[in-house]
Amino acid sequence: MAEYFGTAVEDIFNTMEERFLSEGTLDVDVTIGYNISGEGGGNWKVTIKEGTLKVEDADGEVTDCTAVLNANAETFVGVTLGKLDAGEAFSSGNIKVDGDLTVLVAILPKAFKPFKPVIKASAIVESVEERFLPEKAEGVDIKIGYDLSGDGGGQWTVVVKDQTCTLKEVLDDDCTVIMRMEAQVFVDLNQGKLDGGTAFSSGQVKVDGDIGVAGQSASLFEKYVAEGAAEEEGEELISLKCVPSINQRYATGPTMGKWFDGLKEKKFFASKCPQCGRTLVPPREICAQCRVRCNEFVEVGPDATVTLIDVVYYASPDPLTGKIRETPYTALFMVLDGVSRDESFAHDLNPKDIDRIKPGMKVRPVWAEKRMGTYRDLLYFEIAD
Amino acid sequence: MQISYEDRKDCKVMTGKMALPNHYFAGRLGSKFIIALRDENKILGVKCEKCDKVFVPPREYCERCMSKLDECWVELSNEGVITNYTVVNYNDKHLPRRAPYILALIKVDGADTPFPHIVEGIDAEDVKTGMKVKAVFAEETTNTIRDLDHFEPV
Repeated sequence: MAEYFGTAVEDIFNTMEERFLSEGTLDVDVTIGYNISGEGGGNWKVTIKEGTLKVEDADGEVTDCTAVLNANAETFVGVTLGKLDAGEAFSSGNIKVDGDLTVLVAILPKAFKPFKPVIKASAIVESVEERFLPEKAEGVDIKIGYDLSGDGGGQWTVVVKDQTCTLKEVLDDDCTVIMRMEAQVFVDLNQGKLDGGTAFSSGQVKVDGDIGVAGQSASLFEKYVAEGAAEEEGEELISLKCVPSINQRYATGPTMGKWFDGLKEKKFFASKCPQCGRTLVPPREICAQCRVRCNEFVEVGPDATVTLIDVVYYASPDPLTGKIRETPYTALFMVLDGVSRDESFAHDLNPKDIDRIKPGMKVRPVWAEKRMGTYRDLLYFEIAD
Repeated sequence: MQISYEDRKDCKVMTGKMALPNHYFAGRLGSKFIIALRDENKILGVKCEKCDKVFVPPREYCERCMSKLDECWVELSNEGVITNYTVVNYNDKHLPRRAPYILALIKVDGADTPFPHIVEGIDAEDVKTGMKVKAVFAEETTNTIRDLDHFEPV
């Protein structure tokens, strides 16, 4: 693929959709044709209509357009990236527009966010020799392996010895440390979009070998700066992502302890108020209405009747794992068989039953194979039929 | 089935971990404050001319008169006084130091508001309010307030 200023013509069209600003084009109805000549060029047709965008490969013919832009590939990429002056390109005839020129000038800046070149992991690794800082590498004798998977990835070994740095396009067996990750993760790390510690602790980066070397190797190189990135640098803003893991300690007391023991045996225990006779699920030590201690337990369930259904579409993180939950999920409120009418109890619903579940339906618990006496012993409830 | 309150056979302790994905944006003013700590080892605040008050860390609006302060930067001293303190006596992995360590409110010279930070280089028994301290900056950045590593007695 022919590249100009590190960018292919295709990249510009392929990223149009993600750069499109629909709110800026609500009253627009135009079709713009592009005839890009030279290597990597082609014909494209871009239709912007009332806040929607369609990008088509025009396959040789650009017809029925409000305006058609003719340019060679290098000029087109250069002007898009801001490397070449647009006015000059017009006056020298390198860009010619057939049809309504004002359409391009007035609409394009409103319709698209500026194009930013895609940074490839390989470009970052291949610049490692230029970015090497010999003065920081006194006495350093290491081999850093990179095993980057996915688009733009590859395998490399960076050898630092005698204050020189050499890059090999192969993964040596005797590396001091090998870092394995998706190519995009590597790019994000180098762009400062992802913190190294977070990437490592969340398992996005796997390190084989001396982990200390992995941490300290960054100081041997200048930061990677994408071509042209420095000129358009704006105000630096700081945002931090982290996933702190908080230790939790929960003392059950005798009553909830009884409840969790029950789950282990596939049983539900309710406490029963000696005064009003109501049953409480999960069990509690005190009946809050009568203010007396409940010392009696009764087995209830395991089937239940649904009273209320909450279908949740918000993709919240599961606090037990930090992972974003699958949506939709359902919080099901139900009354276990044998429990007083107003004592509902909540748990998950089997996702396959979401479309069918209705208040009043009978549901039954589905238990985990291995039960440890925790809430996880109950996988979810499902419709009993 | 009856159990008595004294019966502890069902009592147990469950332990676990809770993961809390966080995304913190320092904001425009917060970013500039941290960047000044990181790159220039300077403590910046904002000044409300109307109330003659200097706030640190910076905030966008004056809490008294609601004037916008986002352009009213002032550079403050790296020295200040302890206005209050506590000794942290428990360990947890999210805490910045091993216990015991001193967490103090420090009002740097030129500021009207104190902010909390760690004080090192002195025993917990010897800390006093009114004590002069100076900032010690971190060698490695974390892009947080901890780019100012701690304060120590002058």
